[in-house]
Amino acid sequence: MTLAATQGAPQGAAGGGTAPAVSLRGVVRRMGRDTVLRGVDVDVAPGRLVVLRGSNGSGKTTLLRLLATRLRPHAGEGRVFGLDLVRQAEAVRARVGLLSSAGGSYPVLTARENLRLALALAGRRRDEGELAETLERVGLAGAADKQVRFYSSGMKKRLGLARQLLVDADLWLLDEPYAALDEEGKRLVDVCLTEARGRGRTVLLASHEQDRHDLAPDATLELVDGRVRLAAAAAAVVGP
Amino acid sequence: MSDLAAVLAIARKDLLQELRSKAATVATVFFTATTLLMMAFALGREQGVLERSAPGVLWVALVFAGVTAAAQSFQADLEDGALDQLLTYPVPRAAVYLGKMLATWAYLSVLGLLLAPIATTLYGAAVTGTAAVALLALTVVLGAFGFATIATLYAALTANLQAREALLPVLMFPVVVPIVLAAVRATESLLGGAGGPVGDWLLLLLGFDLVYFVVCASLFHFVVDE
Repeated sequence: MTLAATQGAPQGAAGGGTAPAVSLRGVVRRMGRDTVLRGVDVDVAPGRLVVLRGSNGSGKTTLLRLLATRLRPHAGEGRVFGLDLVRQAEAVRARVGLLSSAGGSYPVLTARENLRLALALAGRRRDEGELAETLERVGLAGAADKQVRFYSSGMKKRLGLARQLLVDADLWLLDEPYAALDEEGKRLVDVCLTEARGRGRTVLLASHEQDRHDLAPDATLELVDGRVRLAAAAAAVVGP
Repeated sequence: MSDLAAVLAIARKDLLQELRSKAATVATVFFTATTLLMMAFALGREQGVLERSAPGVLWVALVFAGVTAAAQSFQADLEDGALDQLLTYPVPRAAVYLGKMLATWAYLSVLGLLLAPIATTLYGAAVTGTAAVALLALTVVLGAFGFATIATLYAALTANLQAREALLPVLMFPVVVPIVLAAVRATESLLGGAGGPVGDWLLLLLGFDLVYFVVCASLFHFVVDE
């Protein structure tokens, strides 16, 4: 499956060069005795917004974790912006930001402390003004200094979104970003993802949400039987 | 960001978590207090026996407390997928290891430095002279370092297992024996027992600390990367 790889990146795509943002060839990954990914081939050009669909257990999370270098492929080859997922894992991590379905925040730390830690570890400059603005944007300004263990699931998801916005990696990987959010929160995710694409970021999100009106993905991929197939795409982004 | 800054950020985060949750503190303080008291009762009233047992009991209490502290450190990281998130940042695995190890070391050193005078007083073992007190503190700090290097690696190894509380001590105790042995002998020498020259034991302890540190830091990525 080739998405936009042959057409080149859109204007302003971040960190692209000529390398695809994501390039997987025959990627196989087993989890225990189950083979979850059975030879995934996919290219995504920089600056695209791609939705990944599939039933529960189809391998969406596995694929995202593999791109975030949390899992290694058992066979095949994967590259992010031309960097090998295994041999150049640390360089890949400098280009990728993952929002996991669990949220990924430390419950005993406050939202502000979690974001400061994320910025420090991502090697980003800390700007308290920007941090406060981002918390305001995701609707957590009033709870910024509250420990995350007192947050609702939706608030945790908003905090994860704030982390994505602040780190603003070249490749955004999001696993069920709409889960636990109210409608206003879901619209906020749509707006943030669209804006990220506008800044040239590549966005790959796994979601069960159907027909998000405020989101216009460049393509929708579906994971079926451990392989990726194209479910829908804007004609301009599909390669031969 | 330099790797050192990442190390310090992770260590600070772990210590802040412990300061707030007190999850390990409550468990380890009660455990060590109970161990010291129960062993004192079990060993009887004979002063010589109590005095000779003080180094061993002190280090047994510290080792078990260390297991709890190290396990707790990773337990907190597992909640809400925070460890997974931590490992997606562009920070070398060795830096993640070092940050977590430093936090466990700091915690165990403080616990050991508090525990040592209580144990010596309770068991009637005297440490005479400023130099001996300083060497005892050094023994505790070096022993805690060696223990923290191993405990951090093994706690990461067992973090995702269901029976981690049972498996962690079973797996790590055989490896930690040289550290415990050297630390107990050094403490014994300082408390006036027949431990031999304290300098030799401290050098042995330092040697094991360095070897374990290098080995564990090198192996950490095999443990956390799937």
